Amino acid sequence: MNDNERTGSLPQRIFENSIVLIIIVVVWLFVPLYTKNLFLPSLFSILESFRDLALNGELWLDIVYSLRIVFAGLLIAASVAVVLGMLLGRFARLERYLDPTLQIMRNTPVLAILPVFILFLGIGDSSKIAIVIWATFFPTLLNTIQGAKNVDANLIRSAQSMGISSGGLFFKVILPAASPFILAGFRLSAGVAMIVIVAAEMVGAQHGLGFMIFNYQHSYQTSRMYVGILTLAIIGVFLNFGLVKLEKHLTRWQEKTQ
Amino acid sequence: MAADTNVVEISTAGLGLVYRKRQSARRGGDIYFPALKEVDLEVGKGEFLSLVGPSGCGKSTFLYILAGLHKQTSGAAYIGGEEITGPSLNRGIIMQAYALFPWRTIQKNVEFGLEVKGVPKPERQRIAREYIELVGLQEFADHFPYELSGGMKQRIAIARALAYDPDVLLMDEPFAAVDEQTRGFLHEELLRIWERTQKTIIFVTHSIDEAVLLSDRVAVMTPSPGTIRKIVDIPLPRPRTNALVNTEEFRKARNKVWQLLQTAGTATKEVKKEDGRVVLDTVLQEEVVF
Repeated sequence: MNDNERTGSLPQRIFENSIVLIIIVVVWLFVPLYTKNLFLPSLFSILESFRDLALNGELWLDIVYSLRIVFAGLLIAASVAVVLGMLLGRFARLERYLDPTLQIMRNTPVLAILPVFILFLGIGDSSKIAIVIWATFFPTLLNTIQGAKNVDANLIRSAQSMGISSGGLFFKVILPAASPFILAGFRLSAGVAMIVIVAAEMVGAQHGLGFMIFNYQHSYQTSRMYVGILTLAIIGVFLNFGLVKLEKHLTRWQEKTQ
Repeated sequence: MAADTNVVEISTAGLGLVYRKRQSARRGGDIYFPALKEVDLEVGKGEFLSLVGPSGCGKSTFLYILAGLHKQTSGAAYIGGEEITGPSLNRGIIMQAYALFPWRTIQKNVEFGLEVKGVPKPERQRIAREYIELVGLQEFADHFPYELSGGMKQRIAIARALAYDPDVLLMDEPFAAVDEQTRGFLHEELLRIWERTQKTIIFVTHSIDEAVLLSDRVAVMTPSPGTIRKIVDIPLPRPRTNALVNTEEFRKARNKVWQLLQTAGTATKEVKKEDGRVVLDTVLQEEVVF
């Protein structure tokens, strides 16, 4: 891709970025009006349902309910994963003890564990937070281990030559050096969290976007079901966009590679 | 220049380092690789001493022992009369790879050692600015290392080491990765800074010209296991500039070091010790006479 192609004029770029979406929207608006299939309502009726659900407050309740669990789980998982990952990355012995267990845990499909969490913790918030923690723990952990292992030995030697304590070495050298890996891992975790919360809410819940989608599918209120799906898609896009921005800001010290 | 070279700043006595590679008895037992052997050296306060020697002769290893980052297996090293047991802020190390912290701005990089030392923020900011100015890069204080050229990075690495005011600078091939022209500039910069700060400098290099141009004395090492073969005085007048390389005196000094390196004529062979250990040992050849 050459420079001219990449930096075309602003209107041209807006056109290139939106034309496919516009076509999809138009097709979705009008084609279902002729096909009249209950399973694929027109975007008009979906928007109508969206307005209804937004006005009666149900939609916001479900969004808040789902995101609360996503963020609680993500935060707990990420803080433990970063600390443990740094230790595992720097102490090979500790890694030898824990690696086999972690490998088995990591490779067990998350949703296969869900019934166990429900047995122990019921179908309330705690089992959902637990499953989000479990699922989002590993991407951040594995990336943190990788990052901590890859710290330039010269930087460590340089800091040590200035008589830095081992605590100082962890916080002032290894953590910032590993941060690009950690942030990339966290972004993966956030994506996983959205998948898992929807699945968990489909299995057993009273609220939440996953519950909402499942519930309206059961009662054949398909335009309301699509409201839930589209809301999740929009949240996902914004979440990823925000995390990419954050990542770019926190790693602005890295040389930009084209 | 050689400020007060009568006072010894750094000395080593019988310094040696033997690496051990563990191996089962069935395969002949552990193997020992001597990297350094019987290094005796005295460096005066404020002196500029270079170490030259063939690749792998252990000159960098020697420097890292002085930095306290490696541990010798025999003998001892002293700084200011005290035995070196680990790293400390009385020595600053400057590496070929710059080793600047990429997530810190230039200003924050230079503050690093002061931060470790616990110097309060306004104080360390002031000191860091002062040393960034000394190396002439004040307009880059808020930039990140990736935005600087190799030569600029190395000047910042020097500023960072100077900022916490060590007595000794240990420089491990600091200019090997920069282009010829920049290197010439950095030589004059380093000499200017050295003359101003009166630090003791031990400078490891592959380049004979560089060693002769900068140093009061050049220590020539033997191939592995390295030991000091001979120390050559460089009686060239100071202050020195790059123009010196065209003089007859420079060529003479250069030639002397070169010949010593050519005939550093040692080789290694395997020697079986009384206790059955197999050891690589040096075979010293005839002294060369000038």
